[in-house]
Amino acid sequence: MTGRIWAIALNTFREAARIRVLYGILVLVVGSNLLAILLGQLTLHDAGRVARDVGLAGISLFGSLTAIFLGVFLLYTEVQRRTIHAIVSKPISRWEFVVGKYAGMVLVLTVLVGVFALAMVAMLVYQGVGVSSGVGKAVVLSWCEVLTVAAIAMLFSSFSTPFLSGIFALAMWVIGRLAPDLEAATRFAAPWIRATTKVALEIVPDIHLFAVSGRTLDGSTVSVHGDFVPWSYVGLAAAHGAGWIIGLLALSALLFNRRDFV
Amino acid sequence: MRLADLAIDVRDLRKTYRTPFTRKKVEALRGVSFEVERGHIFGFVGPNGAGKTTTIRTLMGLIRPTGGNVRLLGHELPSRAARDKIGFLPEAPYFYDYLDVGELCDLAGRLFGLSPAVRKQRADELIDKVGLGRARGQSLKKFSKGMLQRAGLAQALMNDPELVVLDEPMSGLDPIGRKEVRDLILELRDRGKTVFFSTHILSDVEAITDRVAIIARGQLQAHGTPGELVSRTLQGVEVVVRLPDGAAADEALADGASRVRRVGDELSVTLAADADVDAWLARAHAAGARVVQVAPRHETLEDLFLREVANADRPAAAATPEPR
Repeated sequence: MTGRIWAIALNTFREAARIRVLYGILVLVVGSNLLAILLGQLTLHDAGRVARDVGLAGISLFGSLTAIFLGVFLLYTEVQRRTIHAIVSKPISRWEFVVGKYAGMVLVLTVLVGVFALAMVAMLVYQGVGVSSGVGKAVVLSWCEVLTVAAIAMLFSSFSTPFLSGIFALAMWVIGRLAPDLEAATRFAAPWIRATTKVALEIVPDIHLFAVSGRTLDGSTVSVHGDFVPWSYVGLAAAHGAGWIIGLLALSALLFNRRDFV
Repeated sequence: MRLADLAIDVRDLRKTYRTPFTRKKVEALRGVSFEVERGHIFGFVGPNGAGKTTTIRTLMGLIRPTGGNVRLLGHELPSRAARDKIGFLPEAPYFYDYLDVGELCDLAGRLFGLSPAVRKQRADELIDKVGLGRARGQSLKKFSKGMLQRAGLAQALMNDPELVVLDEPMSGLDPIGRKEVRDLILELRDRGKTVFFSTHILSDVEAITDRVAIIARGQLQAHGTPGELVSRTLQGVEVVVRLPDGAAADEALADGASRVRRVGDELSVTLAADADVDAWLARAHAAGARVVQVAPRHETLEDLFLREVANADRPAAAATPEPR
């Protein structure tokens, strides 16, 4: 089983490595870090804050957009180009194929997040700002966010077109990320709006758990520039993300299993 | 026939699609039934849109049937155990174009759970066998249609399959390539493998198959050995004579012929099955012609194919199918 999943994962990695858009995104991330250096020089004593904010936002934003892009295209193109015909006719289950594709995406996204993080660290070192453990935790949380978003995109890709899958995945990412704000904004709204928001937030992964800097947790504000969350929080958030990923992949496999490849 | 002797056993296979917007029902397969014995070469022929590819994709688990029953190598579908022993070449295959043929075979071998050493050995052997030895390091992106077809054959045989399913294997190949594929199919049969292939090329079917099935409009129209299917009754007589120099085509020689064709000094005519051939030859002698060839014409697979497809197109025939 693992051999077959690994074979699909490696092949997916090779396929993704040839997508030129990813190299464009890499250039964008490096560019945003260079911009952060410029912005930092415009501030008084806050160069480190700007550098960390821009660097971490870049990982989260570009990482998640890349995850949506890969998630909606990699599975779809297999069906569209019929490359899947020579694969699923072999002794591999469709769920193994789905998991293999996802594992391949995990490899690509891990490399990308790693490169994004290295670019940020290089920028921080250049600025003379130390790399705190908070930055490390924030990078790990962003990585979890990116992998969860990839699983969301894959779910939609298992039954829909890239365009619709992209829109749905983007919407879920935004809603999941802004969940506490949406909840707060609808606190005094009409009951049906509150109820609708509650239901929507229940079925969307809690992506806001991975972007906690600046939020209040257990009565105190956490910030990557000061007191950040402990590693136990990172572990719990990762476990929460893993739960969602397993659920989303199971649903993707179920839907993919019902498809005809004509 | 014992179940164990069958490589493929298809019973009342049905597939109905719905069109995307109007949700109209389209019956792609309407109760297809046939058997393929182990160790046989089975040709599956039909016009475009007849249901050949739908049948094959259903056998390979790419399409879920709406009804019916399929057993492959004794395993009821869907079966991973069956797929473990099957090699499959899809129609107009499209593979990952960033791989070379060796990497494609290696990927197939990994999915069959072969060890690295076996994968390497099989890939090398098969690449040479399908004639891609000189294109070994080239990416599939640069392959012609015929080369892709050969690469597809190589990956299909990586697991040394008991049953080989080939969807239009001769498509895109030049005459030499077609001959090589025919030889490969015969070699597989000689090694005890079962080969099931679909094609439009009836001469290939006549040349190598043990049994044939003709499908049209989602229903099997005929099923049997080429000898059983094709009528041995005389359809006509083809006569070729050489006319003397400068002689005009004698109208008397065309009398009673269903087809007349003259190329240079050779006159070729087709006489009806009940025509008096001796009398016609006597007239040809009298006109100074020399007989080159007299050949009885029996029904060919092509005649049968055209007849069965025409029958399927008739509404009454479509309503009451009766495979032979």
